Amino acid sequence: MKFVMPILATTMALAAPAAYAQDLVLSIGSRGYGPAVERNIEGYQAEHPDIGIEWNKVSDVPGETRKLYVTGLTAKSPTPDLFAVDVIWAGEFAQRGWLEPLNGLLDDGTIAAFNPSLLDAAKVDGKVHALPLYADGIHFFYRTDLLERYGLEVPQTWQEVQAAAQTITEGEGNPQLYGFVSMWAKIEGLFMNWLAFTNGNGGGFYDAEGNVAVNSPANIEATQFMVDLLHKHRLAPDSILNARPDDARTLFQQGRAAFLMVQDFVYAPLSADDSPVAGKFDFTRVPYFEGHDDADTTTMGGWFLGINPNSENKEAAADFLTFFTGKEQQLAAAVEDNRAPTIPAVYEDPAMADNEVLAKFGANYAFGVVRPSAGTGADYPRVSEVMQLEITNALHRQKTVEEALNDAQAQLEDLLSR
Amino acid sequence: MTRTLSPLDRRRHLTGMAFVTPTLLVITAILVYPILQSFVLSFGQSSLDGSEPYRFVGLQHYATLAASDRFWNALWVTLVFTGLSIPLELGIGIGLAVLMNEHFRFKGIARLAVLFPWALPTALNTLMWRWMYNTDYGLFNAAALQSGLVDRPINWLGDETLAMASMVVVAVWKTSSFMALIILAGLQSIPRELYEAGRMDGMTRWQEFREITLPLLKGPILVALIVRSMDALRTFELPFNLTDGGPVTATESLSLYAYKVIFDFIEFNYGAAIVVVQFLVIFAMSLLYILTLRNRD
Repeated sequence: MKFVMPILATTMALAAPAAYAQDLVLSIGSRGYGPAVERNIEGYQAEHPDIGIEWNKVSDVPGETRKLYVTGLTAKSPTPDLFAVDVIWAGEFAQRGWLEPLNGLLDDGTIAAFNPSLLDAAKVDGKVHALPLYADGIHFFYRTDLLERYGLEVPQTWQEVQAAAQTITEGEGNPQLYGFVSMWAKIEGLFMNWLAFTNGNGGGFYDAEGNVAVNSPANIEATQFMVDLLHKHRLAPDSILNARPDDARTLFQQGRAAFLMVQDFVYAPLSADDSPVAGKFDFTRVPYFEGHDDADTTTMGGWFLGINPNSENKEAAADFLTFFTGKEQQLAAAVEDNRAPTIPAVYEDPAMADNEVLAKFGANYAFGVVRPSAGTGADYPRVSEVMQLEITNALHRQKTVEEALNDAQAQLEDLLSR
Repeated sequence: MTRTLSPLDRRRHLTGMAFVTPTLLVITAILVYPILQSFVLSFGQSSLDGSEPYRFVGLQHYATLAASDRFWNALWVTLVFTGLSIPLELGIGIGLAVLMNEHFRFKGIARLAVLFPWALPTALNTLMWRWMYNTDYGLFNAAALQSGLVDRPINWLGDETLAMASMVVVAVWKTSSFMALIILAGLQSIPRELYEAGRMDGMTRWQEFREITLPLLKGPILVALIVRSMDALRTFELPFNLTDGGPVTATESLSLYAYKVIFDFIEFNYGAAIVVVQFLVIFAMSLLYILTLRNRD
């Protein structure tokens, strides 16, 4: 194989239509970072006409992209040179040696400019393996017109959400209108939902000592609330159990739900000119349970950009990475596309003052909850799977909430002690 | 049976071998090698990129498998799916074949229409059905709600029993026509004289079917059964695209479970053990069919 690859590479280089000194392949989805990707590529090529950049548009469903990466990375494929990784994979990929360590490859100052707590997610053995591109979180979207019609305040607690949803659905008397929609299919988003609900009740994945405690009384109570919202109060449609983020967004956008709980990206389609709910919705921080008004309820996500250790153009890739995640590019993405910057200095730029939407996102991030991916590393996919499965068991009433969470706890203890 | 080959025969023999060898080599490379590799992987612990050298662990992965509820569930789901869909496909397939064998107007168009579901890729079919099953926008719920049969949308793919039933319906819709095609070929090879003789003896249409058609169709039916059962036992695109194995794990087939273990959890060795078990199940079933076939002759 050793002699085949250079021959292949030469042949391909000769066959390539555009004659660039070097070619870089970048894998990233088209929805997450939106128009910024194209802008950054064009911006970089304007400065470096000798470097060709090919954008490999991967799926915006993270699970699908992950499978694609896993196949290429285990086979040690040299392409893509750079690829976007979900915050929850950063630690795992770094541990598996699937991300090139960036210390030494980039200037120390470049790395130091980033929010250190975000960098931690991609840090293994003290080395940073990917740079945070943007952060996002789960928010609580509501219909301003419906709240107004019934003289309701924006709900702050889950008890208020339940009461408001009840008032609205009963008042409207339309079987096509639901109270609450979100992404409760058996996907990562379900675990994010659960973290928001349980943290809002003073619970969470870990207890105060940092031990896994998914079956705590606070968690059982919050999970029971989710089950009751669906089965007892009938405020969520049955289809919530199959809904992915875009399914929930579509229902809300068509005016068929009062409340919606998903990530930042829905803001653009919801407020687009052709959206039936444009101008009729707003968002706030994910609610908490009574008595927990300072609880962190914004489950955080985000994407990193890293370099393939098998890339044949690491130096060039590092230069492009520095540009792509740089302050100027982040400022443009923030001001124009509401993407939350990961370099604190960007927030101080005067241009940021005009972006109210991003300021509101930012206020919610202040109540951020991170998933236990850094702490569990390569085990995280298993951890998330256990949680998704057992929460689903509870939501489908295959098990009582207590049974499901006890089972989850037992499986996690077994898994993490190995 | 021993006989000496003439030089000419021997040369023909060699030419034949020469023609067959490349095919055999390719089959060995793309069929036999991966199967052996799966066995090897399943008895050890390693990483595919070579960062962790292969270490023999014996039956450890199989022990984990035997103790895993999820594995037994996947095996059960696979068997239930196969057991439900194959008889339905066979029944409908025979019916379709008998119909298509009759002379009527637009026979060509009818045959084409029957083959249509089979000609489309499973993944595409499945996505189309998923939309029809959709709880909020789907065709079935629109029909059910508007006709007043139900007052709340039915969550077709979100209920354990309904999800399995929905999956079987898609499989039957798609592959009955395949059964029909093979059986139709069999039907057309039955000599007309037999039916004429039957009619002379005063047989009814039903008697003709029972006494002439069915016995002579045994061969084609067995072939269709083998091919379809093997297909059903390794079903992947259907649950992957329709339900992703849900709700919970109610439609998670062995293939889908193995896929998740390998690509989500990146546990190639454990995944290989699942694949080996699946291989053995299909192998056993094929043997059963083949033995039945042989006994018949």
